[in-house]
Amino acid sequence: MNIEKMRDKLRKWREENFRNSEQIVDVGEELINEHASKLGDDIWIIYEQVMIAALDCSRDDLAWSCLQELKRQFPDSHRVKRLAGMRLEALERYEDANKLYDSILQDDPTNTAARKRKISILRAQGKSSEAIRELNEYLEQFVGDQEAWHELSELYINEHDYAKAAFCLEELMMTNPHNHLYCEQYGEVKYTQGGLENLELARKYFAQALKLNNRNMRALFGLYMSASHVAASPKVSAKVKKDNVKYAAWAASQISRAYQMAGRGKKENKCSVKAVEEMLESMQITMS
Amino acid sequence: MSMGEVELSCLAYAKMYLHASQFPRCSVNGLLLSSSAAGGAVCITDCVPLLHTHLSLAPITQLALTQVDVWCSQTQQRIVGYYQANACASDSSPTPCALKIAEKIFEQCNNAVLLMIDGEKMFPGCRVPPIVMYERKDARWALKDKHTIMLRQWEETCSIVNQLFSSGDQALLVDFDSHLDDITKDWTNQKLNAKIMELVSPANGNV
Repeated sequence: MNIEKMRDKLRKWREENFRNSEQIVDVGEELINEHASKLGDDIWIIYEQVMIAALDCSRDDLAWSCLQELKRQFPDSHRVKRLAGMRLEALERYEDANKLYDSILQDDPTNTAARKRKISILRAQGKSSEAIRELNEYLEQFVGDQEAWHELSELYINEHDYAKAAFCLEELMMTNPHNHLYCEQYGEVKYTQGGLENLELARKYFAQALKLNNRNMRALFGLYMSASHVAASPKVSAKVKKDNVKYAAWAASQISRAYQMAGRGKKENKCSVKAVEEMLESMQITMS
Repeated sequence: MSMGEVELSCLAYAKMYLHASQFPRCSVNGLLLSSSAAGGAVCITDCVPLLHTHLSLAPITQLALTQVDVWCSQTQQRIVGYYQANACASDSSPTPCALKIAEKIFEQCNNAVLLMIDGEKMFPGCRVPPIVMYERKDARWALKDKHTIMLRQWEETCSIVNQLFSSGDQALLVDFDSHLDDITKDWTNQKLNAKIMELVSPANGNV
């Protein structure tokens, strides 16, 4: 691979925020070791990207050398200090990492990166309730931080606090109305909360997710299952039952079609295709 | 083998290990299967890796359980247990979600096992299997006596796992979550199973 290609790959991975750390280390290390002089000012952002990826791959040697280059070039930088903190986190030296982040915050109390690293440390230590509390405080100040809202929803889901997770996802859906993943996750949370009302809500949000992306399989299955459950409920009117049977039937046909197309010519997914077909058949029986 | 004993095959162990390794920052879970008849000892002959996201949310878990159930009846296997590896490697205790699913499995299989992967023991050269097993005793899940857990040909199993990593074949593993991201991927892992069975020597009768 030539230098241009390698640079482009790293840039793409940076822009899309991919965490394919092994590949980044592979490409990045070669670029740094053999072509550093040809990278111009790009080299600093590449050092940062490779350093973080190196931490992910337990390559402390590589992380350390990248960090040294950055420290030399930007001796008083908070951004570089944060990277030093991340290295300490990777070595599980959480107290030292926290000290570093605290010193950044003393200098600059609005430094969101340092605050978020401190919350990540709480997560790594398994201190979920504290992480949740800190994240809530953070969001009171930085109410537009999407990443933080999503992190909080994940924490609430892990703690089985579905109502609060739903609240976070509602925030995310409001600010990202075209994101099918948030709609689908919201549907999953509502489905998990259970009860007729939540199932109907779940169905609506799975349907919305499909409108935004008709290939979202989780949303399709979610629609199928929630509509089936509503249709099977003794509490619904005949009309509601009829409508939901229709929705479920539609979803089932979409699922079948998707699996037919996926299974074409591939011997290995015959098993998964068959499993889905039988499942759809058996659920049909219980619904009618 | 007698009542209360659990045998874990190379195939099942290898795939669980690969699953946990593929998603080091996530909690992962899966189902343990047996192709042997019920009664007596539990022989875990295979496993199905399920999720690496949102383990505690219901819809996808229900979907996966239903599909694995169907596949098992098609292939004469039974679900005999559940495994989980927590994202936080230093914590190998069963989560409420793990207990819930294990409970469900126990309803259908009275010698079901709950297996937690011990992340702290997953390093090259570790001499002890990184697993902790629980069984249902007196209405709760109790730690199983290590001596009732059989891992035949432990050294060979370790070597097979290492070979899978060096050949790059560990990337073949597909869990149910990945299948939903791309339904052309096979969550029954036929291809990977074949590779593993190739590496298992025919002499020891590991299934």
